[in-house]
Amino acid sequence: MRLETRRLLDRAFSSLGLIAIGVMALALVVILTPIIVRGSGAFIFRSTIEHRKVMFDQWDRGNAGRLETAKAEVAAARQPVYDMLAAFNTELDAMPRADRKPYKQSLRDLEKALAGLLGPVPGERTPVLIRQQYGATRWDRTQIKLDDVLTTEEWDYSDPTALGKLVRTPRVEQFRGTKLEPLFPYVEQNIKAMMQPRWTCYWQFLFDTSKDSHIFGGIGPEVLGTIYLTLGAMFFAIPMGVIAAIYLCEYAREGRVISFLRICISTLAGVPSIVFGLFGLAFFLNTIHISDSKSVLAGALTLSLLVLPTVIRASEEAILAVPRAYKEAAMSLGAGRWRTVMTVILPAALPGILTGVVISMGRAAGETAPIIFTAAVSVGRPLLPLEALSQPTPALSWNIYNLCTEHEAVDEIRHVQYGMVFTLVAVVLLLNVFAIIMRARISKKLRG
Amino acid sequence: MKKAILSAAMMTAIACTAVAEQTITIDGSTTVGPIAKAFAEYFMAARPDVNITVSESGSGNGAKSLMNGVCDVANLSRPMKSTEFKAAAGNDIQPVAHVVALDGLPILVHPQNPIQDLTIDQIRKIYTGEITNWKEVGGPNLGIVVITRDTNSGTYETFEGLVMSKQKITEKAEYVGSNGAIRQRVQTTPAAIGYAGLGFVDKTVKALKVNGVYPSAATVRTGEYAIARPLFMYTNGYPKLGSAVYQFVTLYLTEDGQEMVEEIGFIPVTSY
Repeated sequence: MRLETRRLLDRAFSSLGLIAIGVMALALVVILTPIIVRGSGAFIFRSTIEHRKVMFDQWDRGNAGRLETAKAEVAAARQPVYDMLAAFNTELDAMPRADRKPYKQSLRDLEKALAGLLGPVPGERTPVLIRQQYGATRWDRTQIKLDDVLTTEEWDYSDPTALGKLVRTPRVEQFRGTKLEPLFPYVEQNIKAMMQPRWTCYWQFLFDTSKDSHIFGGIGPEVLGTIYLTLGAMFFAIPMGVIAAIYLCEYAREGRVISFLRICISTLAGVPSIVFGLFGLAFFLNTIHISDSKSVLAGALTLSLLVLPTVIRASEEAILAVPRAYKEAAMSLGAGRWRTVMTVILPAALPGILTGVVISMGRAAGETAPIIFTAAVSVGRPLLPLEALSQPTPALSWNIYNLCTEHEAVDEIRHVQYGMVFTLVAVVLLLNVFAIIMRARISKKLRG
Repeated sequence: MKKAILSAAMMTAIACTAVAEQTITIDGSTTVGPIAKAFAEYFMAARPDVNITVSESGSGNGAKSLMNGVCDVANLSRPMKSTEFKAAAGNDIQPVAHVVALDGLPILVHPQNPIQDLTIDQIRKIYTGEITNWKEVGGPNLGIVVITRDTNSGTYETFEGLVMSKQKITEKAEYVGSNGAIRQRVQTTPAAIGYAGLGFVDKTVKALKVNGVYPSAATVRTGEYAIARPLFMYTNGYPKLGSAVYQFVTLYLTEDGQEMVEEIGFIPVTSY
């Protein structure tokens, strides 16, 4: 081959590599940016007075005196709205029956929209559902709720052969000429005084339990559940995996049985996670009844089976990578096999084993399918360690899926969903960073 | 490092000495899920010593959980089948039904869709694949995207029983795993048709009249709305009077329970 051709090929190859890396980086940016931007929206956002009320009522947070003053200010700003409604009601009562009718439905719709924005009318009975006891807690939600108050949406189906068109009309049109007419400009102009938005860092989002199925509060039980499941899985997988690897590398005599075992382990690594989930349900729960219901224990055991092959393979590679000379030196000094393994081979292989362990930890934290049937629930309290043996728990991975597919009011709580995704990604990322640091430190120590 | 391990061990020891609390494990239908979650929230606020966990895995799974004895309350959006009763009896479990609410099973389309009204016959033909275009039922010229629930779902079985009358759902239908997923699929697809529990209807989807009747509390109660059903919670035997499970499964009989059922969008069985 001519030198020039070779150079050309070389250059072509390296540019291909660059492009590949570029595409990967771009994909990472495209995936991570919305997660980080929208996920941090669960922690740092402009909260309204309603958020402060929730915090105070449900978690005893905030300064009671200052909240009372703020509440009084807000109530004063909102009072004209309720006065106008009352005035309109008297106006209605004075109307002849026939005139009253068209306003009835419109008024009900308006009251509903206002309740979504401001919460229940002061002085009236408190609703049972917590979600109805408060208005919009976030400024971004406030904008949407305000829009609900100010405009009505209807669909124009005048042409039955085409898709309908959305017609947005100002709600004020329904109340032209009545005492409610000034309500709409008033609400629009005074929305800040009525809601008092201000920037808040709601870091407790990570630790709070959720109220009224994730509509208020944080993701504490989910985070804790994920930690339990991950640590539990590792608690079972690490000893089993490392011991199996030591046996395979140091004790087992190479032969048909061992190579068959190796094939089995590789196959196990390729089994889809949902199969592990169903196995966990069938074996741990329905056959040996490890707990009365789904439980963290059953989930952790299932997850440990899932990551076991990874741990075994990583440990095996790490052990095989220890130079033969180490082992021979130890043996020549009179150390037995056990002593050699424990004092020479394992410490030298530790960085590699740790890498495998942490990678599988990341996997265990993020897996959904194995825990659907064995451990995960939609809502539940944070568990104490002992309760984890017998009780199920919410977990980040499952609840992300649950919120986006099964929650009845998902559009109201997108921020919670993104907050969970953000937290899960952050947890996995942190685990990996931790692994890199540990690995670096141990190898440094080994080198002396 | 050692310190950290030691303190972790101590924390565990402290945590373990805390009082063990009562638990109620609930599994089953995604339709009944919102009711169960609201009840759980309400119940735990009044009884902090009880931990209630709710999973929404579908009616079929709920029934299986109950007959395997791995849940205390099974939510079902359909009555238990005789095969399930037999299996439960074989495991020495005696399912007792509590009807907590009524549901209208609205037929959902995208709000852009000008169709307002379908007959049961038309719905059946859409789902068998006989009608494939909206213009055949008086709408725009648009291929119908048929969305249905998975076969594990009680909503699916209700629909199959009340609408399909033993005919098979077309192979082109798209199967999704929950009520929320149906709504999501319909609200993003102008040509879609789906069905879900009443509590899942919001302004992003449009519920159709069926045989000229709109699903509402009144029409469901009187039976005018054709696709209606009760929603169940099943327990193993009637719960011991006064126990936490008893209080939980009778919550729907209280005034607050009725309000919760109503506000979530379902139809209460009581009327205070």
